[in-house]
This record gives sequence, C-alpha cells and structure tokens, in this order.
Amino acid sequence: MVPASRAPNIKSFLLLFFKKEDLPSGPWRVALARLRQDRAALASAATLVLIIVACLLAPLYARHIAGTDPFRPHLDETVTIGGRTLDILQPADNPLHLGSAPLGPTWHGAYFLGADGQGRDVAARLLYGGRNSLLIAGAATLLCLALAAIVGILAGFMGGVIDQILSRLLDILWAFPVYLLAISLSVVLISQGLHIGPFTIEADSLLLPIAIIGIVYVPYAARPVRGLVLGLARSDFVLAAVALGVPNRRILVRDILPNVASTLLVFAPLIMALNLLTESALSFLQIGVQPPAASWGTIIADGQTLIYTSPIVAIAPGVAIVITVLALNVLGDGLRDALDPRAKLRVRS
Amino acid sequence: MIKFCWAARICRRAAASAAAVLLGLSLARAGIEPSGDRGALMRAHRGGALRLSSYQPSGTIDPQINYESDFWQVFAVTQDGLLTFAKAEDQPGMTVVPDLADALPEITDGGLTYRFHLRPGLRFSTGQKIGVADVLASFRRMFKISGPNVGSWYNILVGADACLATPATCTLAGGIEGDPATGTITLHLIRPDAEFSQKIALPFASILPADTPPSDLGTTPPAATGPYMIASYNPVRALVLVRNPYFHQWSEAAQPDGFVDSITIRYGLQNEAEITAIENGSLDWTSDPAPLDRLAEIGARFTSLAHIHPLLAYYYLMMNTRIAPFSDVRARRAVAFAINRRLVVNLYGGPALGTPICQLLPEGIAGHVPYCPFTLNPGATWSAPDLAQARALVKASGTAGQKVTIVSSDRDIERAIAIYLQSVLNDIGYRASIHSISFNIRDTYLQNSSNRVQIGLTDWYQDYPSPSDFLNVLLSCASFHPGSDASINMSAFCDPGIDARMQQAMQTQSAADWAGIDHDLTDLAPLTTLFQIHRLDVVSARLGHFRFSPLVHMIFSEVWVQ
Amino acid sequence: MIRLLAQRLGQMAFVMFGISVLVFLIFFATPGADPAARIAGRNATPQVLAAVRHDFGFDRPIPVQYALMMKRLFITQDLTSFVNRGEQVIPEIVAGTPVTLSLVLGAAVLWVAGGLAIGITAALTRGTFTDRALMVAGLIGVSMPVFWVGEMANLITQSRLHDTWLFFWVPPLGYTPLTENPFLWLKSMLIPWLTLALLYMGLYGRVLRASLIEAYQEDFIRTARAKGLSETRILLRHALRTSLITCVSLFGLDFGVLVGGGALLTEVVFDLQGVGKLTFDALQNLDLPVIMATVMYASFFVVAANAAVDVAYALLDPRVSTRSV
Repeated sequence: MVPASRAPNIKSFLLLFFKKEDLPSGPWRVALARLRQDRAALASAATLVLIIVACLLAPLYARHIAGTDPFRPHLDETVTIGGRTLDILQPADNPLHLGSAPLGPTWHGAYFLGADGQGRDVAARLLYGGRNSLLIAGAATLLCLALAAIVGILAGFMGGVIDQILSRLLDILWAFPVYLLAISLSVVLISQGLHIGPFTIEADSLLLPIAIIGIVYVPYAARPVRGLVLGLARSDFVLAAVALGVPNRRILVRDILPNVASTLLVFAPLIMALNLLTESALSFLQIGVQPPAASWGTIIADGQTLIYTSPIVAIAPGVAIVITVLALNVLGDGLRDALDPRAKLRVRS
Repeated sequence: MIKFCWAARICRRAAASAAAVLLGLSLARAGIEPSGDRGALMRAHRGGALRLSSYQPSGTIDPQINYESDFWQVFAVTQDGLLTFAKAEDQPGMTVVPDLADALPEITDGGLTYRFHLRPGLRFSTGQKIGVADVLASFRRMFKISGPNVGSWYNILVGADACLATPATCTLAGGIEGDPATGTITLHLIRPDAEFSQKIALPFASILPADTPPSDLGTTPPAATGPYMIASYNPVRALVLVRNPYFHQWSEAAQPDGFVDSITIRYGLQNEAEITAIENGSLDWTSDPAPLDRLAEIGARFTSLAHIHPLLAYYYLMMNTRIAPFSDVRARRAVAFAINRRLVVNLYGGPALGTPICQLLPEGIAGHVPYCPFTLNPGATWSAPDLAQARALVKASGTAGQKVTIVSSDRDIERAIAIYLQSVLNDIGYRASIHSISFNIRDTYLQNSSNRVQIGLTDWYQDYPSPSDFLNVLLSCASFHPGSDASINMSAFCDPGIDARMQQAMQTQSAADWAGIDHDLTDLAPLTTLFQIHRLDVVSARLGHFRFSPLVHMIFSEVWVQ
Repeated sequence: MIRLLAQRLGQMAFVMFGISVLVFLIFFATPGADPAARIAGRNATPQVLAAVRHDFGFDRPIPVQYALMMKRLFITQDLTSFVNRGEQVIPEIVAGTPVTLSLVLGAAVLWVAGGLAIGITAALTRGTFTDRALMVAGLIGVSMPVFWVGEMANLITQSRLHDTWLFFWVPPLGYTPLTENPFLWLKSMLIPWLTLALLYMGLYGRVLRASLIEAYQEDFIRTARAKGLSETRILLRHALRTSLITCVSLFGLDFGVLVGGGALLTEVVFDLQGVGKLTFDALQNLDLPVIMATVMYASFFVVAANAAVDVAYALLDPRVSTRSV
C-alpha cells in the first residue's frame, strides 16, 4: 500500500505548490524590482520610448514643422529658409552641366537635415522610416517568438516523432546562414508577392519583410525553448503531475508556459535588435521596404548614391539604428539579469 | 587546284581595288597598308596596356550568342563577318562596309541572292587560313547553337526553317553555298530584306573556324580575326585581350589595327571606386555609368576627361494595351502628356545626359522627323508637360481612380524615375504604386504577359541603325508572344494595318514611310519615350585619340595610352 | 565515439540535402527568371526558346532537374552558371576562397586580440568606470549594421580624409592577392579587417568577461587565492584557461560561418571578390546554379564547424556525448 499512501502526499504537495506559486505575480514582481535598480536598462527603455514617440509623431513633424510631403519628389521646387529662396535640387553650375546637388542641412524646421536625391525632407523621412523599421522589427519579433514558443513547446513536450520532425526542420533552417536565407526569400518574394490560396500579399506590403525576418531567427529562439521544455518535462514535479493524471493542457499552462514566457521575454529585445539590423540590411539591398515608403535601411541606400555630395543622408539613419539597437541590447541585458540569468541567445549573422 | 586558286584570288583583289579607285569610293582607303596619317600616329603611339573596368561581365564570349553591347564592343576588335559597320564616328559609323568579303555583295534576283567574294590570304588567330568552308560553317553554327535572333533575323535564309526545327542537323541547304576554288559565297533568301546586309554585319554572323564546336563557347575564347584576340576570360576576375599575331590591316574602315598592345577589363569594382581610380589614373575607362554624386565633380574638375555622345537609345514606358487602364488610348496619351521629361532627365544626371523626346525613332536613325504631340504646345519638340490635358484625358477615358502598379528595376536611377512617375500618375487621377524588381530580370519580367504588367520602365538600344529595329521589333504583332519571358513587344500591341505598312517600308526603306509610321505609332502611344540617352565616358588623363562610334561606342583599337 | 561521428555525418548530409531542396524550390518558380529566356536573348522566337529550353533540360520534370543539378555539382563537378554561360561554378568558388580567407583570418586575429584585451581588462577592473566604458563600447560595436560601418569607413578613408596624413595610404577599393603584392594586400585589407573585427571584438570581450567572472566564483580560484598566488597568475593560469573554452567554441562557429561567405555585406561594401560577393551577385542575377553551389558551400561550413565543436566538447566532457542538437 505504499504507493497509495504516498500518492495523496505528493498530490497535496503539488497542489500546495501550485497555489503558493501564484506564478504570474511572485517572480515577476521580484524581477521588476531588480529591473528598477538597473539604471542602464531604465535609461535604455526611456530612450526607446522617446524614439517610438518621435516616430509616431512623424506626420505632425512633416506637416507642421517641416511643412512638406516626404513621400513625393520635389524635383522642381524651392524652399524659403531664413528669408532666402533656395532650390531643393540645385542644378549643377559646372561647364558640362552634369549632375545636381540636393539641398544640404538647413538646421531650420524645413529640411533640417537637408534633402535627398528626390528633394524630399530627410528628417521627416527619418521619422517615417523609423516607424516602418520599428514596426517591422517589432512585429517580426512577436512572430518569431510566437513561432518559437509553438515549435519549442510542441517539440519539447510531445517528444517522439513530432520532436524529430520539428528538430530536423530547425536544423535545416539553422544551418542556412541567416542573411543568405533572408536575402534569398526577399529576392524571390519581392519580385512576385506571396500567394497562398485565396490570399495575396502584394510585393510592397510590409507583411513580407515581417514574415521573412520573423522566420529566419525562429531556430535560434526555438532551440533554447525546446531545451527548456524538455528539461521541465523531465523534471520531478511534471513527471509527478503526469503520473497523477493532471491533464496535459493544465501542465502546459501551469508549469511550462510561465517558464517559457520569462525566457521569451528576455529574448524579445535581443531578437528585436537583430531584426532591426536585418531589416536595415534587406532594405539597404533594396529588397526590404519598397519605395516610396521609407525605412532606415532604404534611407541609407538613398544616401549611398549621394555619399560624396550629401553624406548626412546616409549618416543620420545609421546613427538612429545604432542608438535603437544599442538601447534594445542594454535593455535585453537588464531583463536577463532580472529574470533569467541563464537564458542565452547566440546568433551568427 | 591550289595554284589556280591563288591566282584567281590575286586577280580578284587587283580587280576589286581598281574598281574602287575608279568609282572614287571611300572604300578605296581600305587598302592593305595603313594610310599615311595613321602610319605616323601608329609609330608615335603604338604600345602600352589599356586598363578597363566593368562591375559585372556580360555572359558568354561566344560572339554568335552574346547579345550585350558591352561584349559587342569587345567583338568589334576581335571578330569579323563578311561585312561590318565601319569603325568610325557619327554617320559613317553607321554604314556597312566589306570586311572579310573584299567588296559589298552583289545583289541579284530582285534581292534574293547575295554574292560575296572572300578576301584572300587572311588567317585566324590560331594560324588557320580563313576559307569558304569556315564561312559556311559559321552560318550553320548560328542555327546549331540556337543563336538569339536566328528565328527573327536569319530565318529568311532558304533552308532556315529546317534548321530552326532541328538545329543539330542544320545544313542550310539551298540557303548558302560556296566555292572554295573561287572564294565566292552565295546566300539565298526566301524574300527580299533590305536590312539583311546590316544583320550580317553584326557579331552574330562572325566568321569562326569550321571546327568550332557547335555549342556555346561559354568562357572559351573564340578564334579571332581582328587586331586583338581574347587571351583569357574569367567572369569574376577579368577579360584579357592581346594582339592577334596573324592580324594585318586589310581595311582601315572595317578593322583598323590597334594602338595598345593589350586590353584588360577587370570585373567587380563598383562605379564609385572606378571613377576614383580613373581620376587618379590607375584605370583608363569604365563601361559603367558614372554615379550621380560624382557627376558634379567630373563636370567641374575633370572636364577634359569627359566625353559625351548621344546614343541610338532611349528610356521608355511600356503600357500594356490589353490591360486596364492603358487598354484605352486616352489613358496612354494622358501619361505621355503628364510626364515632365526635363525632370526625368535631371534625375538621370542633368540636361547633358539626355534629350527629352516623345517619338519612337531617335535622332540619328533614318526616318527621324522631329515630332512631339504630347507637350504643352504640340509640335516638333517637347517643351513642357500638359497636366490639364492629361487629367481631362483620364477623365474622358473613365479610368480615373483605378489602381496602377508601376514596375521598375531596383537600379538607383530607374527607381528614382519610378517614384517620380508614381507622383505623376497620382496627380492625374490614378492610385499608383511601385513594384521594384531586380535589374537583371527587368525585361524578362516586363515581357511576360502572364505577369500582367500595366506600365513599366525600361530602355531600348539599337541592334543595327535601322528604323525597323525600333518600330518593327518593339511593336509588330510578330514580336508579341503571350505567356513567354521572351516577348519584346511588351505593350502587347498589334495593329495589322501598321504591320502591313512596316512590312512594306522594310522593302522600300523609304525614310518618309518610316517617318509616317513613327508618327502614327507615337500617336497611338503603346509606349511613350522619355528621353534619348547620352553616354558619358570618363577616361584617364593618359588615354588619347578617343573615338566614339554610335554603334560600338568607344573603339578599343582607336585609343592610345602613350 | 565512432557512433557519434557517424551520427553527425548523417545529420550533416541530411541538413545539406534539406537546404539544397529549399534553395531549389525558392528560386525555381520566380517569374522573370526563366533561365531559357535570358539565355535565348531579348528578341528570341518561341521556336528558339524551346530549343534552348530543351538543350538545358528545362523541359524536364522538376525532380529530374534537381537531381541533374546535384549530379553536376557534386559528381561531375562541371555545374555552369545560367547567366554567364560557360562560367564553371566550382572554380569560381575556389578562386573566391583566398579573398574570403584573407578577410576573415585578418579580422579574426584583430577581434580575438581585441576581445581578449577588452575581456581581461574589464574583468580585472570589474565594477569601475573602465569596465563599464569597455562594456558599453563593446555593445556599440555589436549594435552597428556592418554595411553602414563599411560605408562610413569608405566615406572617411576614400573621400573625406583621404588626402590627409591619416588615410593617404588607403588604396582604392578592391582586392590585391597576397602573392602579387604583399604590402598592397595588407594596405587594402586593413580597413575591411577593422570593420569586420569591430563587430565581433565587443561581443568576445563581453563573453570573456562574463565567463572570467563566473570562473572567479569557482572553488579552485578561491583556493589559489588562499594560497597567495598573484592576481595575474590566477587570471592567466587558472581563470582564463577555463573561460577560453567558451570562447574557442564560439570562435569555431563564427569562423565557420564567415569562411562560408557569411561576410557577404562586408565583401560587397569593400568590393572584395570573395565567396560572399559571388553569392550576392548570383542572388541579384537569380543565377540558380551559383546560388545553389555557394549556399551548399556556406552551409557545409556551418554544419562542419558545429559538428567539430560538438565533437570537441564530447572529447573534453563525456557527459555530453549523447546530447542531441
């Protein structure tokens, strides 16, 4: 009768554990308290909020401060700065009449950072571009983490054939160098759009870069999640719960998900930083955000063709990327220290 | 047999040059020895290595297959056909002159028979003599390897149909015959073609040794006949030309001897780096266009290094005449009226690099009579856009508010023009968006009717300087092939009446007829031209004697470096 | 051990097979990329197009075309480009390898040296301003898009400051083989090396610092300290030794990816004709045979480096020998 007498004990122990755990508040509260101590992480979070708010205010900036439409070319127009009327695209004054030069930074409201090759306000485009860059990086992060969670949990928790299939798929994606895979998918999808059954995603839709970037980093997040779930699934308390006939769904919700969630949360800013860099690379190669929309990467590409005459067009978006990615990385470090010091995310470009 | 042959050849050569002198043709200069002027220049400037650069190579170096102007420029100094275009500037550079044949063909039977006589005593760079058998084999090889235009240009040879059906066993029976004894070659056509001489003056009809394999040469250098031969070709490193040891100048007009001893075209440098290298003298020339942000610097500080020439080429917008909204001629005309071509030229690099045009025949082509109906004050030339007219036309066509997708390549300049076009289309009442694709698939994508492209930006360069190469090639019913990546009539335009007129004009070669067809097609606007392209060549300070032919562009054998 | 090796080899083969199928499927159905049309030329008639299509075998079923391509890549090794006809793919990769190796080896020396210096300095000055400054600098390095750093480096060294004493020596972009002119090779590679190393230096410094600090918590270090050994000696003899294992395995993986052409963006920005640039050009041309070969090459290095690191671990630590990755 030993098993019978032991069983209630374990059960009551587990129930005790579950109740006491009350997971969503306990450890999270501790983590939040720790995070509050981390001044670097707080400063980063503040910087990010600032950048996001500035980018969200892009239409207001364009309309009221710059006073220009940053999405249409201004090839033949003038602008008045401090009482002087200037050509936005200044015709060449060389003997051969070759080339033209866009207006440089005025450091006034209109054309604060000057114009690009199409006479568009660089500062306004920078803000609009930031919206797209951040939107793509953010949405791709959510997609990546959601897929990673599904794949990792399925593989780790179900085991067997499902685990085998998913793990091999992850192996394949993982061995495909990230930038190669992203560029390959983009080159093809940008030329034809995506058609799945009755649904069509146009080639200039932001959903394409979101989907591509969201997919390429999945193995890097899914593998640690699978490992974590595997460990949890073999842990004493889950084994015991299974033995007691606790339904899988409940084990998932109670034991697995909270642990996975904290790991994913730690990954979120780090993945978003990688996504932002990937997005800028794709857009730089003209296979990310499509014209006339902007992202920080496309503005660098625009600036590349002007680098001798107006280097600011390429410099400004690069600086924006560095600041944002840096802030995300610092925040990620802070989150890891606070939540899950063992979580490791290692991605090769 | 051999003796007789030699005698006959010598006789024939003497007779031919005597005839030329008597007739006072400029061909008389096609003597055996360099003329006095050139001889002196040759003594003063011969030697040295020409260092050129291209970002990307242009594919196979099989002269009977390659269809890229960058390599035609190379073939111009390495290969020869029976005929060729004179290596000369301006209008003379567009005339056909005898090359391996010693005179222009004798055309009989109402244009159905072409008789050539092979110039005797010439050799390939391999040392083999150039004989009648090589000529016959070269024409057959063109079909055996399914050369690009065998179905569209050379299919008028008798026996071509059988060759097109089963290339491997092509004999061109009845289409081509030769007599090794007399050195005569006779071609028979199924119908007269006034442009046939021009078509066989192009690299596709280069004469190669009879034992050249009947498959794409790829990176294996072909045997050369010109002053240079390809020594090596590596598509990711370089193409190297050296002097052909068996070359001697037989005609200065057709194939002048070269000044430099070797020519290297390096691959991989981007145009920013190329221009820097040319300015500081470590490169002599690049085939790539100068980057926009360097133009001002070239125009101001390196004026003497810049050479600008109009090309027989233009940028144009194809508009699919079978898909809304441009199935309505008013919608197409609206676009033609609305575009500010001056601004488009500015995006391309400024007024020096392009001339706004509206018509389909560029300046320099026979039949070009200045015409522009799509401008503020319609007349001979374009002056300014007429947006009011454009909006009215869109309204009248009932297509206002429709969605239009502009397809353009991802090249900086073309993307910039597409963004401008988007703003124009939005201005005149459409809802426009841009679909930008890799430059390398631009034309194949635009051509395939299953991609359902409404409007797209592309360019066209002449193959040979004839009106039909613009009008008939781009807009005849026969150049539209539904569902195929190879369908050069991108607008899917087909007007049997105009087709018939073009067929007739190709026989008569009447400039006035072509001018009429040009103007009528321009009015129908299946495509609208934007500007005629001018080429900017930037060369190193040491590069002298820059000579520019409208067809081959900078002539490699004419420039010197010392 | 042999079982482990065999298992790893089987896995490698499977993964590379999967990738090849993926690449083939991604690029096969792209519109406008019909290789026959591009080969046949812009004015080809349907008849000529059909002849070319038949010649190249584009009219055969897709699995057959896949098998043929694999055969020409791995068995007969005469796979040729669709765009530059006659361009043999394998010799091109062989020719690109020294360029990529030059870039990656030089950069690796710089980033390992820099990473060591940063990691050790930061660990020794833990908690001070120097430590924090180094860590922030390292993080900035990780946060920069490499193509942008390259562009900026070019802007400064090729244009803005090229005529000053600082950068007058920087040669025009492009690669000079080491065997041709060693000095010019060095001069032309220095800026690309720095650019690439900048990215990894900070990362390695941070990883090293973290594992050094972790090692300091271990018992044997405490024992050493108790024995009165000098700090330098503890660091070099004991802590660094254990910490380096992490860094070496990290290095193995990074190096594998980069040698396989992972430095694609750096090669493009500096006009270096390496494997990465070859890949990039092929992608732009949608040149399937070259893409296939370069992706196979790249993934081979990823998989091989990974297997090597795993096997090395297994040798060092028997506990992980059954670990499935």
